[in-house]
Amino acid sequence: MPNLRDLRFLSLCALAACGATPDGTPAAAVSATGGTLVISTPAEPDNLLPPITTSISGRQVEDLIFQRLADIGASLNTMGDAGFTPNLATRWQWSPDSLSIAFTLDSAARWHDGVPVRAADVRFSLALFTDPRVASPTALLLANVDSISARDSLTAVVWFKQRRPDQFFEIVHQLYVLPEHLLRTADRSRLAAAPIAMMPIGSGPFRVARWVPKQLLELVADTTAGRRRAQLDRVVFAVAPDPVTAFTRVVTGEADLFEAVRPDKVAEVTSHPQLHLVLTPTLEYSYLGFNLVDQKTGRPHPLFGDRMVRRALTMATDRRSIVMNVYDSLAVQARGPFTTAQSTADTAHVPLPFAPDSANALLDAAGWMRGADSLRRRNGMLLAFGMLVPSTSVARMRAAVLLQEQFRRVGADVRIEGVDMGGFVSRISARRFDTMVGAWNQDAGLADLRAAWSSAAATAGGNNAGAYRSPQFDAHVDSGVAAFAPTAMRAHFAAAWRIIADDAPAIWLAEPLRVMAVHSRFVTSGMRPDAWWAGVAKWSIPPDRRIARDAPAPARAAALAPAGASR
Amino acid sequence: MHALIQRIWHGFVVVALVATATFVLVRLAPGDPFAAALENARLTPALREQWRAAYGLDGSIGTQFAHWIASLARGDLGFSTSTNQPVSRAIAAALPNTLLLIGTSIVIAFMLGIWLGAVQAAGRGGIVDRCIGAMTLIGNAVPDFWLALVMLLAGSYWLRLFPVGGVADLLLPLGASWPVLLLDRARHLVLPVLTMVILLVAPIARLQRTALLDRLGAEWVRTATAKGVARRTVFRRHAWRTALGPVVTMAGIALPSLFGGAVFIERVFAWPGMGRLAAEAVAARDYHLVVGCVLVGTVMVVIGSMLADHVSAWLDPRLTQDGFEPGRGLA
Repeated sequence: MPNLRDLRFLSLCALAACGATPDGTPAAAVSATGGTLVISTPAEPDNLLPPITTSISGRQVEDLIFQRLADIGASLNTMGDAGFTPNLATRWQWSPDSLSIAFTLDSAARWHDGVPVRAADVRFSLALFTDPRVASPTALLLANVDSISARDSLTAVVWFKQRRPDQFFEIVHQLYVLPEHLLRTADRSRLAAAPIAMMPIGSGPFRVARWVPKQLLELVADTTAGRRRAQLDRVVFAVAPDPVTAFTRVVTGEADLFEAVRPDKVAEVTSHPQLHLVLTPTLEYSYLGFNLVDQKTGRPHPLFGDRMVRRALTMATDRRSIVMNVYDSLAVQARGPFTTAQSTADTAHVPLPFAPDSANALLDAAGWMRGADSLRRRNGMLLAFGMLVPSTSVARMRAAVLLQEQFRRVGADVRIEGVDMGGFVSRISARRFDTMVGAWNQDAGLADLRAAWSSAAATAGGNNAGAYRSPQFDAHVDSGVAAFAPTAMRAHFAAAWRIIADDAPAIWLAEPLRVMAVHSRFVTSGMRPDAWWAGVAKWSIPPDRRIARDAPAPARAAALAPAGASR
Repeated sequence: MHALIQRIWHGFVVVALVATATFVLVRLAPGDPFAAALENARLTPALREQWRAAYGLDGSIGTQFAHWIASLARGDLGFSTSTNQPVSRAIAAALPNTLLLIGTSIVIAFMLGIWLGAVQAAGRGGIVDRCIGAMTLIGNAVPDFWLALVMLLAGSYWLRLFPVGGVADLLLPLGASWPVLLLDRARHLVLPVLTMVILLVAPIARLQRTALLDRLGAEWVRTATAKGVARRTVFRRHAWRTALGPVVTMAGIALPSLFGGAVFIERVFAWPGMGRLAAEAVAARDYHLVVGCVLVGTVMVVIGSMLADHVSAWLDPRLTQDGFEPGRGLA
C-alpha cells in the first residue's frame, strides 16, 4: 500500500494542481485541440437542469454544459471577489454601497442552438431558481439576492438585500445561467419531466451530443465557442453500475478516468504504466452523529442528552486508528464540521483527545457503572444504543465496526444497524436513530455548515438531525459569516469550532482524499477540492500521445470502413 | 380453446395479484423516491415533502393505487422519478436487451444441456458421465454474482479478449459498417451469455439425464429394442423425444429465476436490461418503475409458462389425452 508521504504521490498532486504532464512538459506548451476523455462512472446524472439536480454526477456534467457568471478560484475564497475569474461575465463593477454588482456579459456568448446569451437570461435564471414551484435546493442559497435587472442586453445588474462578504460568491457560484427562450414555457412544478432536463442547451464549452440512459452520456466541444473552445473534442461518461466493472474499464484502457479508487486498488493502479494516481483534497467529512433528542418523548435522549456521555465516547474513540484502518494513508483525521481545504478551516484546532482513562472516569462520574459483564448500567438501564449506517458504504461500515469495538472497551453495547441509502436517509429525516455514521460533501460556501449544525436546522424539516442547539455556536457562525475582515472571520470560526468540539454532538472521523486513476496521456489542470472536473475544458492530450479514440470522428469512421467503401 | 381462455384468465389474475402486491410492498419499504437521494445538506425534509407532493406521492397508498389503476387503464404505466422519463419508455429501452441476453442464453443452454444430458445417459456410469456430472454439479453450486465477476476478470482483464461491459462499443462512429457493428455486438454478448449459460446448463443437463434414463427403462423402449429397432433410433425417437417434456416444462419454470439471475449479470456486465433497471429502481425507490418492471416480468413468465406447457403437450401427446391437460394435470 503506497503511503501519502511517498514523493511520487506528492509530485502527482503537484502536477495535477499546476497543470503539467507527468513527465514535466509544461501545460502551456500544448495548444492543439483534440482527443477524447472517457470517464468511467458507476452513477448516472439524475437530470441535467441545475435548479433541480441533486447528484454529484449531474453537477459534473452541468459544469461542462452551462456557465456561471464567474468561477471561484483554486483557494476557494468566498469573501468578496478575490480569486474569481471571468466566465460568462467578462467583467463586473460593484456599486459604491456594494448592494449591487453590474456584470457585463461576453458579447460572443451563444447558446448551443446559436441564440445569443443575453442579460435577460440571467434575470430569468434567478426567477427560475427561486420559484417556489421549482422547489430548488439552491433557492435558499440565493435568498440574499433581491432581484436582477437587465440594464442593456449585455449588462445584468444583481441587487442584494444585504451587504455580505460572500454575496459575490453566492450569485456567481450558485446561479447557472439558463436559456430563457427554451425554459420559459416549461411546467415549473415538474421540471425534471421536461425533455430539456435530459438534453439541455447550455452555453458552456461542451454540448450534449447524446444520452443513452444506463449506458453513456457524450459531450462534444462547442466548436463555435471561439476562445472558450475546449481543448478536448469529446468527454464521454461511460456508466457501469458495479464499481468493479467501472474500475476494470480504466485498467483495461476502455476508459481514461475513474474518480473513486478504493484504497485496496491503489497498488493495482500504480502497476499499470499507462495510468497515474491523482490525489486531491475534498470538501467531504465523515462523522458519528449523536441524537440529542428522544423522538418518542421529545425530551433529551436518555444517553446522548447528557454532554458527559458524548464527551466520554468521543474520548474513547481512537480516530487515528480508524482512519488508518479504513483509508490507510488516503484520508486525514477530521477536526470538526469543516474540511482543511475550506477558508474557514482552523488547522490549529485540537479536538477532544483519545483518552480511554478519561472516558472511563467521565462515564463513572455520570453514574454509568460497570457490571460483571463489563458493560455499564445506570439505574438498571444498560449503556446500549444503535448505530445507523448505510450498508452500501464500505468505508462507513468498516468505521462502524471499529467504533463498536472501541465503545465496547469503555462498557457500551453497540448494535450496528446497516440499511440501504433510502432507508438511511428516511430514518435520518424521521430522526429515528441513536447514533449514525454520516458524511457531508460540502460546498465551498458556508450554507451547508448552517444546514447541518445550526439551531435553525434542528427543527423538523431541517437537516440537523441530531438536534444540536447552541446559541453560542450559532452566534459565532453568524458573526463569522458576516465578518468582512479575514482575521475576524477566522477568529469567529475558531471559537465556533471550540464550542462545538466541547459540546461533542458528533465525533468527526475522517476527511477522505479523492483518489483518481487517470490515463497518463492527459495534461490535467484546475482540479479544485470541490470539483475536480472544473478544469476539464482546459485538459489536453499532446498530439504524439493520442490513441485511436482521440482521432476526429471522420478519421475514426474511415479507419473502420470496409476496404473500398471510400470509393 | 376453452382451456386456452382459462389459462389466459388465470395468467391475468396472477399478473394483477403480483402487480398489486408489488405496489403495496415497495411502498412499505423504508424511504421513498426523494429520500433515496444522496445525503445532501441542501435537501431538507421539507423540500423532499414538496417534491413528493409534485409527483403525487404524498397521498395514502389507497389513493395512489386508485390513480395508478386509472393511469394503467389509459395505457400509462406512470413516470419514473429515477430516470426522468415515462416508465413505458424506460422499459421499452431495456426489454430488447434482456430478451437478447436471455433468449440467446436459453437457446444455447438448452441445446448444450440436452446434448450433455443425452451423452451422460448414453454412457451411464462411464468416465464421461461422471466428468460431466461433476461439472454440472459445480455449475449448480456457484453463485451467479461470483461467477459473473470471475468471467469479467478472466475474459476482459486477464485475457483481454472481450469488452468489459455494455451492449456495444458506444464510441464507434456512426458511419461504422454493419459487419463491424454486428461483430461488436457479438463480442459484447459473449461474456454475459457465457455466464448465464454456465448457470443454466447444469440443471438442464441433470434433468435431461434423469428423464432419459427413466425413459430408457420404460416398457415401450424395451419393446422397440426387442422388435429389433436400431439402438440409435430407439434412443432418439422413443426415449429422447418424450424425455424432452420435463426439460421444456423447466424452461417455463426457469424464467423467473432467469430474470433474477439477470439482475446480477446485467449489473456486473453493465448490461442495460430489465434486471438492472429493476434493481436500480428498487434502490432508488422508483415506485412506478419497480411496479412496471414486475408487471412486464410477470407477463413474460406467464406467457413463457403457457408456451412451455403447449410445447410439452406437442412433444408428448399423452399429456392432452384422457383428461390430461397442459398445466392442469389429470382431470
